[in-house]
Formats: sequence, structure tokens, C-alpha cells
Amino acid sequence: MHRREFLSWVQNGLSSAAAAGLLLRDGALKAAAPNESDPSRPHFAPKAKRAIHICLVGALSHVDSFDYKPGLIASHGKSLNSSEKPDVFFGQVGKLRAPDWGFQRRGASGLWMSDLFPNVAEVADELTVINSMFAETSNHTPATFQENSGFRLNGFPSMGAWLSYGLGSEADDLPSFVVIPDAREFPAGGAINWSNGFLPARHQGVVIRSKGDPIDDLFPARPIGRAADRAAFSLSAEMNRRHLASHFDDDALSARMRGYELAARMQIAVPEVANLNGETAESTRLYGLDRPETADFGRACLVARRLLERGVRFVQLFAGGTFGSPRRNWDGHENLKQNHGDEALRVDKPVAALLKDLRRRGLLDDTLVLFTTEFGRTPFTQAGADVVGNGRDHNQYGFSVWLAGAGLKHGVAYGSTDEIGWKAAENPVHWHDFHATVLHLLGIDHERLTYYHNGIKRRLTNVHGKVIKEIIA
Amino acid sequence: MRRAMAVLLFAIVTPGGSLFGAIVDFDRDVAPLLVRRCLGCHTGAEAKGGLDLSRRESAGAGGESGPVLAPGKLDESLLWEYVESNEMPPKKPLTAEEKETLKAWIVSGARWGTSPIDALRVTTDVRAGRDWWSLQPVSRPMPPALSSGGWGWNAIDGFISQRLEREGLALSTPSDRRVLIRRLAFDLLGLPPSPEEVEAFVADGREDAYERLVDRYLASPQYGVRWARLWLDLARFGESNGFEFDEFRDQAWPYRDWVVNALNRDLPYDQFARLQIAGDVLDSDDAGAIEATGFLVAGAYDSVGQNQFSQAMRKVVREDELEDLVGTVGQTFLGLTVHCARCHDHKFDPIKQTEYYQLSAALSGVRQGIRDLTELDPKVRAEKRAIKEVEAKLSAIEAPVLALLAKQEGRTAARRPPEPLARWEFEKGLEDRVGSLNARLQGGASLGRDGLRVGVKGGYAGSAPLDRDLGARTLEAWVQLDGIDQRGGGVISLQTVDGGMFDGIIFAEKESRQWMSGSEGFVRWRSFEGTEETEADKRVVHVAIVYDLDGTITAYRDGKPYGKAYRSSGLQTYRAGQAQVLFGLRHATADGNRVLSGRIVRARLYDRALTSEEVSASEEAGGRFTPEAVAALLDPSAKGEHARLLKEIETRRGSISKQTRRVHAVSPREPDSSHVLIRGNPTQLGAVVAAGGVASLEGLEADFGLSSEAPEAKRRERLASWLTDPRNPLFARVMVNRIWQAHFGTGLVENSSDLGFNGGIPSHPELLDWLASELMATGWSLKGLHRLILTSGAYRQSSTGNAKAIKVDAADRWLWRKAPRRLEAEMVRDAMLAVSGALNPRMGGAGFRDFSLSKAPGTTAILYAPIDAAGPDTDRRTLYRTWVRGGRSGFLDAFDCPDPSTTAPRRPVTTTPLQALALLNNALSLRLAERFGERLRGDAGNDPGSMVERAYRLAFGRPPDVLERVNAEKVVVEFGPAVLARAIFNSNEFLYVD
Repeated sequence: MHRREFLSWVQNGLSSAAAAGLLLRDGALKAAAPNESDPSRPHFAPKAKRAIHICLVGALSHVDSFDYKPGLIASHGKSLNSSEKPDVFFGQVGKLRAPDWGFQRRGASGLWMSDLFPNVAEVADELTVINSMFAETSNHTPATFQENSGFRLNGFPSMGAWLSYGLGSEADDLPSFVVIPDAREFPAGGAINWSNGFLPARHQGVVIRSKGDPIDDLFPARPIGRAADRAAFSLSAEMNRRHLASHFDDDALSARMRGYELAARMQIAVPEVANLNGETAESTRLYGLDRPETADFGRACLVARRLLERGVRFVQLFAGGTFGSPRRNWDGHENLKQNHGDEALRVDKPVAALLKDLRRRGLLDDTLVLFTTEFGRTPFTQAGADVVGNGRDHNQYGFSVWLAGAGLKHGVAYGSTDEIGWKAAENPVHWHDFHATVLHLLGIDHERLTYYHNGIKRRLTNVHGKVIKEIIA
Repeated sequence: MRRAMAVLLFAIVTPGGSLFGAIVDFDRDVAPLLVRRCLGCHTGAEAKGGLDLSRRESAGAGGESGPVLAPGKLDESLLWEYVESNEMPPKKPLTAEEKETLKAWIVSGARWGTSPIDALRVTTDVRAGRDWWSLQPVSRPMPPALSSGGWGWNAIDGFISQRLEREGLALSTPSDRRVLIRRLAFDLLGLPPSPEEVEAFVADGREDAYERLVDRYLASPQYGVRWARLWLDLARFGESNGFEFDEFRDQAWPYRDWVVNALNRDLPYDQFARLQIAGDVLDSDDAGAIEATGFLVAGAYDSVGQNQFSQAMRKVVREDELEDLVGTVGQTFLGLTVHCARCHDHKFDPIKQTEYYQLSAALSGVRQGIRDLTELDPKVRAEKRAIKEVEAKLSAIEAPVLALLAKQEGRTAARRPPEPLARWEFEKGLEDRVGSLNARLQGGASLGRDGLRVGVKGGYAGSAPLDRDLGARTLEAWVQLDGIDQRGGGVISLQTVDGGMFDGIIFAEKESRQWMSGSEGFVRWRSFEGTEETEADKRVVHVAIVYDLDGTITAYRDGKPYGKAYRSSGLQTYRAGQAQVLFGLRHATADGNRVLSGRIVRARLYDRALTSEEVSASEEAGGRFTPEAVAALLDPSAKGEHARLLKEIETRRGSISKQTRRVHAVSPREPDSSHVLIRGNPTQLGAVVAAGGVASLEGLEADFGLSSEAPEAKRRERLASWLTDPRNPLFARVMVNRIWQAHFGTGLVENSSDLGFNGGIPSHPELLDWLASELMATGWSLKGLHRLILTSGAYRQSSTGNAKAIKVDAADRWLWRKAPRRLEAEMVRDAMLAVSGALNPRMGGAGFRDFSLSKAPGTTAILYAPIDAAGPDTDRRTLYRTWVRGGRSGFLDAFDCPDPSTTAPRRPVTTTPLQALALLNNALSLRLAERFGERLRGDAGNDPGSMVERAYRLAFGRPPDVLERVNAEKVVVEFGPAVLARAIFNSNEFLYVD
């Protein structure tokens, strides 16, 4: 069905109680789902109302991007000076390698950043970098699950699902948790990454596609005439009215009827948000839609901004597909310079544009931007013991992520790795701490956002997590 | 409390003190108080304020502020000071009675009893003790009589009515028959009743018409299809590995069929459980018993993590897998969250950390794998015996020739070499001398009198595509290298034609001068740790690698084992038409260091894992005792018989391969010794533990009587019998509650997989116990239990609400009505199929796929993309969907179908706009609406009135009333019956059962 037809359907069909049905908003639709406590609502005044999460799949090299290590530069070509034999994923420990990109102090804050992300470097004063992250595993997919859900295993709700559960949506015609995968391919593990886990299925991330209908089942899968479509809808609504009249005071039945009204509104809202025709030329250029290497991720960032503007609570963007050959994510085992160079080109300009755009629209004051990767890469190369190789292996012991936006101290770096960037040394940060901090900024006490499942009141942060007070403004 | 009062009275009457010892019993009066009110903080090495009140010595020693107890001297006891002033416990002070008990104890000399205090004995405000209700033996309460004026059918109603009366409520009136049959059909079969069934039931005047209907539905094979779903939710049944690669498990479905069949033949529940824990041990000759163990291995499997380089990280992944196993077994059969005790004693239930590791030890031999059940087939066994006999005859015929050949070769003895699937003699040509896998030269490869030359200008050879699936197999070749410092070339490989997946005999790719089994991204690689190759550049060497069903990879060089065999992440099956054999190339494409430099003299491919004896016989034959060579030297009179016997073997092998039956099931491996892991950390080993159970189950011994080194089969056998022991109070209670939940929407205990502290207490404890005792008394018949519940008045009563009852009990906890329920996801789809006439009732076999399956380029990872699959195979019941983890169905998810990665004891019921969109617009929904429309035309001709009548009867089990008929007819006349069908699919009456 075309949009125009649909609009008339809404007007003629079921408009009677269109104002009702804030089904998606603030958990109003919480039917009798077992284990579900009352909507949590913010536990205290939130700094941020919504968040966008950019996930770099495959592991970004921190020593080539955000973690400036003069010690590593000085040790280029030397062997690792450690009594500990690194237990790396592919077992090879080559010689140390200096970063392939030069580092400079950036902006008024003087934050160190390399030339890998020249455009993001221009907005360095917006960033809050954490240089002391560590992960529990150096296996990509469990590490990515943990980055998203706090757990290394399948079957746990991701951060977006938790926020959907805890905060509901600001909008009533858009899903609360939206996912935009890399245009090339889903990440490894696919939909498991944005699973609702044991939360009710409606908290699962809804994928928005760049081609075809933006979300599944938005419009009839086969052509249906306008009048026939309207007739089916009206008849069904009439059946439901009569059925409800014979069923005493049943909330679930009336909730389903409101579901149809909201569905109708989604059919207008979703195509509208995915349609970039209304964006100015300046805007599309800013996001790099005019250039083939940045068009994919630029479009994703621009759609993400539009979703946030319209009240979506959590948008997750993936930069990188699955693992394999040729590479199409950040897993630079063979030739890091080429791999990271190509991948960074795709995202650098769009991400910088997103920050600039959110700032000038005033959205960055109550929006949180997260830029993370599942773990880092080794300061030594993946090569024979006497070789300075071209690639780097997985490094779970130290890596960098950044945040930007609401409630944060800007232009600062928190924590640090050792001299060469191998292991987190000062103020190590676990994903649980990161998640606790994100929830805190969104007004949620991570210890109080719980869901009873199989014997445990489950949390995003398991039984751990400490809010990183030092980075909060 | 009564006890505390007695103490109090006595204290007032006789303030003397010395007699108090006899009155205040520490273990009876004081220890429970300390457990309840103090030990939450003051226990163990990390006790608050350094004060540990759980032991005599530490309590006597006091804390950071010095001693806290002065026996007999209340004024000098710091403990009393804190307690009396309500400073401790900080949040909720002791009651007056508790204070008196404590006071009396101190005054009487503060004599200690058992030390340390048994903290798990009694239940407190914050945790369950061993006295927790669900851990006590199952009782057999007398069913209460129905009150006067009450109605009901069986003992269940006595229990229900009694509870309702206390709330001033009563059972609702009985449901009418149309409502009843629709309710029963969905509950037992997951399908709507046909209009004919409805009318027959409505018209059935017999007194036991309803009971007959229950029996008829219980006997329907569709009963198993409906109820298997409940069990598969618990089993976290998925048909792919999950994690990074999410490999497809195309042999997982036999477990699903086993569950369906077991339920249909009413396999006693204890036996049902035992087979799923240890079927392969209990009945190793029964294919079904092995399929049943699919329960244990139905969860996700991290193939990358289990095979990563780091041993330390491999161990973590394995421990995570064991937690999932212990968790699933504990919740499913015990309703206990034992997995919560992996890192420390359970926070809420009386389960010690050691007990977690006892259960983990019982399951630590469980490994994922493929079991070949072919051998269990009597026909296959007979064929194999026949082949052995034929081979013996052949040996007798060939013996003189083999001896002659051996003599020519300067060898002492000769055995018959094994029969390959394909055989190449490169000194003579590129043809496969057995089948049709002929090779072709590629690049600069050439054929000479000394064999196939590879490596020149990237030259290699590749075979035609396989003409059959190949799982277990052996690769074998005779090769000479141009140099032994080359790295990474392949001798003989099996690869998918795109080169994305391969297994082959590779030289020195990972470690210099080492033979290895290569695979994409090294996923099935591990070092054989063989000896360094020093000769292969000087002479022809024989190399062979055997790939066993369970994933074990074994290498041979010159007929002798090369290094150590290892268990890989799992056997890959290469599909007919999609895979080929390569010579001289590791895998496509021919670049980098993948091409071998050397010559390959001959090669063999076998469709099975050769034994070491067979490999040695083949090597010994040196490839020269070929059937042609042997036949040429045979006595002419023997030639005919020889050829016939060879042909017979081929025929018999062919018939075996048609019987092949493989299943994803437990493939056990003897475990290393199990330890308690301190704080759950795999690198911090605590005490060694033997397999055992949980001690808190009253009346059931936790000790399995096994040593820590007991074989894994024994461990699972004992676990199975411990879990299902009639003295285990949880086993029956948990299952009874699950079935109650499935019929009423809520269990008698709300959290059906947690009967511990967090799961709460039952709404009707006596009823729960009575049903559990009935289940045991009737030989664990689940159908009997269904019948009991379904024939109760509680189940048969009306769903209609009334204002008074809703005010008292809106949640219907006391069952004053049969609350209406929305259909489960599978029922929605199945009902649409059924009413539209599209439902294909075929049961069993491989599932249908509503996704496409593709491999991401250059990787093992599988991507699943939803497709609109249509056709009779797809139109089977939803249970027969293929449940891959990375390929969920948006339509089913919209109706709360759970993530197959996690055990789902109870499905939430939610309503969202996405659900409305799915039902309105999904291809399935529209296709079936069309189909329903066609059916209406076919059933009722072109008369709109008849079509409406038929539609209502099919979908709702009732005729339309006048107004409904008018409304619907208008739509049918103007737009056709498919539009009516679409409206019906979106109606609440279709989706809800009263």
C-alpha cells in the first residue's frame, strides 16, 4: 500500500479514538508479562534522555587512534620486554610496532588523537575518552555480546533492550530501540547482538534498513487495493468492538485495539523518518552522502539523528560486518594500516558530522553518544618473534572508547594503559562500569533496573559495576 | 514465638541464672535467631566489623571493638548493648521476644551449641533454609469436600473451592460447550476445533461427552506437537550454534521428534527425564535413547571460543558451557537455580558452591557432537556382517597374489588395503579409478610418469564436485616435496567450491616442517605436535588424516600415527555438488602460499574414518596392490568370483549409506578431575569434587557413591536416577506446576523454574502436593495428569468476569474463573493454517526453513535472512520450523516467541503495534487470507451468506449473529472472501480463547 492510500485509511478507518493508545510510551502497554515490575522510570533526574551507540565491529586499535603511547613509538622494532608470555588469540608475538598514524594534541582541550580520524579530531573538545578499558575475552563475538549486554553468552538482553524496558519510548509512533546494521552485512552473531534476551520480545531492537521498506511488515507484503484494505480494517475493528462489549473490562483486548491505531501511525512515521529528501544539501554533504566511501555510514548517522529527534530512546549503529576474507570490519590481523585506513574513511566524516549536527541543534545537551569497540589490538604485531609484522592481534587487556554529549566532562581522557598500551594500568574500566555510567547518565540506578529471570533479579551489570564519577560533569 | 514467650516468663520468675542453661537451648532458640537476624552480615572471613557470629571461637573473640559477649554479664556484653539500643540490626531491630531470648541466653552463660552454626537450616527474611517448603517431602493431603452449594467434578475442586471460600468467592458457572471445545482443542492440540467437531460435541447428549473429548484429544498425535513446544522452550532448543559462526545444525531435529513421540506414547515422566540425561548410557542400543540426550546439547555452542589458541580462555568458555548445562538441568527438573552457586554459596537457597561443582562434575563428560546411529540399525548391522564375510572370502582369493606382490616389493606380509571412495593413480592419469571424481589440471600443473607435478606457476589439480555428502572421512596421499622449508601448501584438501570451508593435509602452514590438518581460519586446527619432517624432500612419504564423526582428527605418516590426535570443534559435512577435492592447493584461490611445490604420486579418499590398522594396511600395500594389479595376477578361474565379490561389497556399502542416520546428541568424553573453582575462577582450583547432588532435599541422599575419578557414564546414570527418585520432592512438584501453568496461564507457583526463595510460595500448597503425589501414584503418566486437571470444574468454568471478584482478585490467583488467554505464537500461525485449509499435517523429519542460509564470504559464519517461504512443506505446524538462533521469525517474535538461546519457563504475553503490523501485512498472513478465501468459495460456493457462515464456524466455532452476518456479507459481496478472512485473522476473537 502506498503512503497516500494509507493516510486516507487512517482518516477514514479507525480515527475515532486516535488520541488514545500511548502504547509504546513509557511502558503503558505493560500487559500481564510475568516477572515484569512496574516501569522503572528514571530513578533520578536524567542528564541524557536518549542515546546513540556506534559499535565498531572487529576491534579498533587503540594505540593507533585514541591512546597516545610515546613509549610504544620509542620501542618500535624491539621485542616485548615482559616476563609474561602474552596469551594472544592467534598465538604469535612479533615485535612492537609504532602506530601507523601520527598523534597530535587537538582542540582547546589538547586531547591526544591520531590522524586516523581527522574529522572526529576536529570535535575533540566534545569527547570523553576512556583509555583504560579491559574485556573478559579476546574472542570477538562473546566480547561483542558483553559490550552490548554485559555477558559473554547468548541470551541476555542488550543495553538498548534494557533501556526500552526501563524507560520506554519518548515517541508513540516509533520503536524505542532501533538498530542500523552496517550496509555491507550484519555483524557476527547477527540479531543475537540486539536481542531482548529474557525480556519480553517487544524490547528487541528493530532493524531499520536502507533499502526497501525500512522495517518489516510496515506495509502489506502483496498489493492490496485501497478500498479492500480499508474494508478489512473496518470490519476487523467492528468485530473487536462487539467482542469487547461481551468481555467485561478486559485491558488486554482494548490494548490490542489501540495497537492497531498505533500501527497506523507508525506507517506514517517510519517512512518519514527514513526519507532523507527533506534534508538540506548542506546537511547531506556534511554527513558525506555525496561521496561513495562515506555515503553508507553517513546515511546511517543521518537517519539516527532523525530517529533521536523524533523520540527514539536508543539507536545503535554497527560499523563493520562479520569476520572473513576479504576483511569488512576492523579486524586488522594482516595489514592494519590498510584495514583501519579503509574502515576509518567510511565512518570518520559521518561521525564528526553527527556530533556537529547534534550540537548545533541543541540535541547534544540531552543526548549521549557512545563510540565503542569490543576490545583493542596488541602493541606488538602478529608475526614471528623476530619480525615487525603489519597486523595486530586481539588485545582484551587494554583499549579505548569514547562518549560525548549530556552530563559528561568534555575534552578529557580518563584512565591509561601501561607504557606501550598493552594493559589497562590506571583506573581500569570494565564494561559493567561503562554500562553503569551510561545508565546513570540516563537517570537509572544500574542496581535498581532489574528483571526477575530464572532465580535471579537480572541486571545489565550482573552483580558488578561502578559509575565512573570522574567523567561526569 | 510460643517458645520465646516461655523463656520470657521463666526469666521473670527466676532471675537467678544457673537454671537457664536447661531452658534456653542454643541450637533450638538462639542459633536460628542469629541466622535470621545477624549472620547476613556477621559471618565468614569478610564479616562486617570483623565480627563473625557463626562460630563459637570467633563469636567469643569479638570484632574490631573487642569482645562482644560477657557470659552471664548482660551489662558488659557489647552485643546486648547494640541490640537493646536498636543500633543492630541496623534496618529492623529485634522484636521484644527476640531480645528476651538473647538476653536470657547471655544471662544464662552464653553457652554455645553446634559450631559453626548451620546457617542453611532455617529460612529467614532474606533467604531460604533447608526448611523451605519445596524441599520437604511431598505430602498426600486429604482433598476437602465440596461445600454445600458449591459445584465441581473432582478432588481438585475441593482444594480450589476451599480457598475461594476464604476470599468470599466461588467458582464461576460452567462454560458452554462451544467455549469448552475451543479451549480444550487449543490447550491440548494447539489447533482450533473443526466446525464438525464443534457441532458433534454440542449435540452429544451423553453424560461423559466431555470426558470422551478429553480422551480423544489426548490420543491425537497433534497433542505431542503442541506439548513438545513447552518442553523445547525449557531445553533452549536451537538448531544452530549461536555465537560468531552460528553454524547450522541440520541434525538437531531428531531430538524434537523424540520429544513429540515420547509425549504421544505417554512415556512415564521419570523415564522421559532419565533418557534425556543419560539415554545413551541407559540404553546404548536404542537410537531413541541417544536422540533423547539432545536435551543436554540443545543450547548454544561457542565453536570459536572452544578452539581458541589460549588454553586459559578455552577453559573459561568450557566453564560457561557447564554453567548453562547445570543451570538448565537444575531449573528444568528441580526448579532450583543451582547455577547461581558457581562463584559462591547460593545467596537465596540452601545450595553450597561445592554442590554446584558436584552437579557440574556429573555433567562434565557432556560434549556437543554428532552421533552416528546407523550402526544401531539391525539392517545395517546385517550388511556389515555380510561385508566382513565377503572381505574374508576376498582375502582368501587374493592371499597368494598379495604374497607374491609383497615379495616383489621386498616386504614380509601383505593385508588387503581398505576400499576407498575415490582413488587416483597419477602415474597413470587423472581419472578416479573407483567413482567419478576425475581430476583436472589447473595453472602450470602437469602429469608425468612420476605423478602429478604441482607448484609450477601456481599449478594444482581439482576434482569434479562430490556426488554424495561426505562427513566422516579419510584423506590419504603419497607425496614428495621440492623442499622442506616451504610453508602452507596443500597436498590433498576437501573444500567447498568457493573455497570458504576446507579440511586438508597441509604442510607447515602454522609451524615449520610440520604436517597439519588445515581449515578456514584454523578453526579446526590444533598442532599434532608431530616430529619435524626431514625426509619428504628426498623420498616419497605417505600421509593420511582421519576425520572422525565426533570431530577427532588423527594424522598418520608412513602408516604410523603422526603426533597426537585431537578433538576439533566438530566435523564439517561437505555437500554433494557443493564440494570438491584439491591436489596441491590448500583451498581456492591459488594465491599466497597456498600452492604446494612437489609431486603427488597417488591419492585416496575414503567415506569413513579408517582405523589405524586400515591406514597401516594401506600404507603397507604402498598403493601398488591395487585391485587391477591384484586381478591381473589372479588365477583366471578365480577372476569371475573376485569381481563378483567386489561388486557385492559395493552394493552393500551403497545400501548402508542410504540408511545413514546421524543426530546432534551428547558425544561424551571422559573429563579431567573436577575441582571447586574459587570464586568461579577457572585458574583457582579448590578441592577435588566427585559427582553428587544437592543435600537440602529432605529425605534424599546427595552422595552418588562415586569417586572423583568415576567414569562419566556412571556419573550421568547416577544423576538421572537421583533427579527422578520418588523421594526427590521437587521433581514431581515442578512438573505438576508446569502443566498447571500451561492450562491456566499461571502456575500454582508463579515462577515455574524456580521453587526456591525467589520463586515464592504456592497459591494452593495442598493441591500442588496432592497433584504431585497423584502423578507418582499413577506411574508418572502425564496424560493422566492432564485428564485430571482438564476434567476439574476449575478448568471447565466460565471465563466471564464479574465486578466483585475482580475487585478481590483481579489476577485470578484463587481461580474464580478460567481467565481468557491469547494464543501463543505457534498457535496463531497454526490456527491460520488450519482454518484456511492449508495445514499440512505431516509430522516429523527435518524442519522447514523460513530463512535463507548463506555463508559470509571467506568465513565459516552463517547468515540467516528471513524469506517468505510458501508451499506444503512450509505449511506444516510451526513446531516444525527450523529454530536457528541467528534467524528468528519476526512474525512469531511479535507474539512473544522466546529467544532460543535462553530457557523460557514461561512466555510473556505482550501487545505492540509491531504485532498489529505483522498480522496485517506479513506475507504469511496475506497468503493465508487468500487461501482462506479460496477455501470459503470451495466449501460454500459463491453464496456470500454461506461463505460468512462457514468462515465464522471455521474461525470461531460458532455461527454469526444477524448483525455480524450483514456486516460481513457486505464486505464479501464487494471485495471477496479473502478480505473477510484478513479481518478475521486480525480479530480478538480469533486470537483469544475464553
